[in-house]
Amino acid sequence: MLGMLTRRVAASVVTALLASVVVFLLVRAVPGDVVQQMLGQTSDPAAEQALRLFFGMDRPVHTQYFEWLGGAVRGDLGTAWVSGRDVLDLVGGALFVTLELTFLTLILATVVGVPLGLVAGIREGKVIDSVVQSFSVIGLSTPIFWFGLLLLIGVSAVLGWSPPLSYESPVQGLGANLQVMVLPVLSLALLQAAAYAQFVRQAVISAVGEQYVVTARAKGMPERVVLFKHILRNILVQLITFGGLLLIQILGGAVVIESIFGLPGLGRLLLTSISARDYPVVQGGLLVVVLMSLLVNLVIDVLYRVIDPRLKVG
Amino acid sequence: MSTTTSTMTRQLRRLSRQPGTVVGLVISFIMLLIVAAPGLFTTVDPNEFDIMAVLSPPSREHWFGTDDVGRDIYSRVIYGTRVTLGIVLGSILLSALLGGILGLISGFYGKAVDMVCGRAVDVVLSFPPFILGVMITGILGPSTRNLVLALAIIYFPTFFRIARSGAMTEETKVYVEAVRSMGYPRTRILTRHVARNVFPSLAAQFMVVFPLALQIQAALSFLGLGIQPPTPDWGNILESGKNFLLGAPWMSFFPGLAILLAALATILLGRAAQRAADNQ
Repeated sequence: MLGMLTRRVAASVVTALLASVVVFLLVRAVPGDVVQQMLGQTSDPAAEQALRLFFGMDRPVHTQYFEWLGGAVRGDLGTAWVSGRDVLDLVGGALFVTLELTFLTLILATVVGVPLGLVAGIREGKVIDSVVQSFSVIGLSTPIFWFGLLLLIGVSAVLGWSPPLSYESPVQGLGANLQVMVLPVLSLALLQAAAYAQFVRQAVISAVGEQYVVTARAKGMPERVVLFKHILRNILVQLITFGGLLLIQILGGAVVIESIFGLPGLGRLLLTSISARDYPVVQGGLLVVVLMSLLVNLVIDVLYRVIDPRLKVG
Repeated sequence: MSTTTSTMTRQLRRLSRQPGTVVGLVISFIMLLIVAAPGLFTTVDPNEFDIMAVLSPPSREHWFGTDDVGRDIYSRVIYGTRVTLGIVLGSILLSALLGGILGLISGFYGKAVDMVCGRAVDVVLSFPPFILGVMITGILGPSTRNLVLALAIIYFPTFFRIARSGAMTEETKVYVEAVRSMGYPRTRILTRHVARNVFPSLAAQFMVVFPLALQIQAALSFLGLGIQPPTPDWGNILESGKNFLLGAPWMSFFPGLAILLAALATILLGRAAQRAADNQ
């Protein structure tokens, strides 16, 4: 177990390093850097030179990289070139918003999607199964940003309500925060609930065909016990794994939803800093995203082995 | 003759029991027709301004209404079909080609190629797909070429892994050993035999990837990172309506509906194909 953990952590670290090199080179590979953006049409060689010197862009790329990496390891992601703020603060603040959005979405998707999938799987081929399947197919087909816009129009037309324009953190006021979050969470959760329902349905259907379910039913166990004690317990690992995958998906979807609803999250921070060519923020933000997604995968792997002891041997 | 007819009737009867598949087939057929001949569906130029009909709601003249400069949304959606679906299709083909070839080589020869490609796949997978798309198109600059590149990179691991594991299983099979003992060079075994046997599983993945890639393509265009106006594309038509949501919701509604229908059709057909494969 410990050996496996060490190997997985080491592999994740290597991947994170490679990803950071790719990001670092990518932002520098394209024409038009932050200095050109700042100076605009005026081309004053002296000013350009001074700015490049100030940002440390006159030095070789590998020196810049190792300096950045050294800082990152110590928790110092540098200073944003455009705003002059600390990158870790910027990214941290934005991450908080995105994580709130992500976790609320995952909770809603689980609460809606898992029961639907369970019911559909148990009643395979019945009317309720068709209803759930239709829901999941339509949910998977709907573009989330379009659904978000429709919700925005629909809610304001029908209820005469529109969400507050500026973000409030839950610390400032939980009510105001939830008002801001409700539509973004709903628009993200539809797709994920649909995906979850479809996955759970499939898992239940394959579990129902297994020997242990047949045996349990033959012993005359009530359906409820079969479902909760046998089926659910056996597919739990798969459910958690899928939840982890959804978490990474939601993190991606959050970018477009944040830009529609004007949430100051990580996605919007990335979009604005990419267009401003604010390298330190782009690098820091993407590093955090990569680390989170690697962490989720690592946790899934470990959980897999903890919950299901049969896998320990392998 | 009679046997063919009865097989056909049987297949039609089986099809009628799967309303989802019928819906998928009908939508796909119409969309393919639109892609092949958009002129059959509208005579209006998608880029023609009609200053007299700015932001007019859906009517007999303008089925889907008009946008803020008086362009016909219906015509833009029709002409956008080829752009949007073409890009998604082209990107997936590129991805399958690259992933397929490198996967075959990695699985069959292993060693250094496998090592390098394996790390590349790890890096790609360490980003949530959509964020990777934003990163590539945002940093390299929004253009059709970069959009295709982004989508191809996002789905590279999917095809790579299938081809790689396919090649690895094929390599252990008796027929490969037989051809090898006949003295054929390894490259020839790979291209003639292994590749041919791995191809079906790559093709099967196509239907799974299509609706996902479509959503990412549309979302990137919606963020202004994809196809640039005035070329009509479902995502960028939707985006142009974003600022007129309350006054002219039709500008965004119809292109979004088109995305939904195209995704729906491919998901339904993918399911039908899966069911058919399971039954076999």
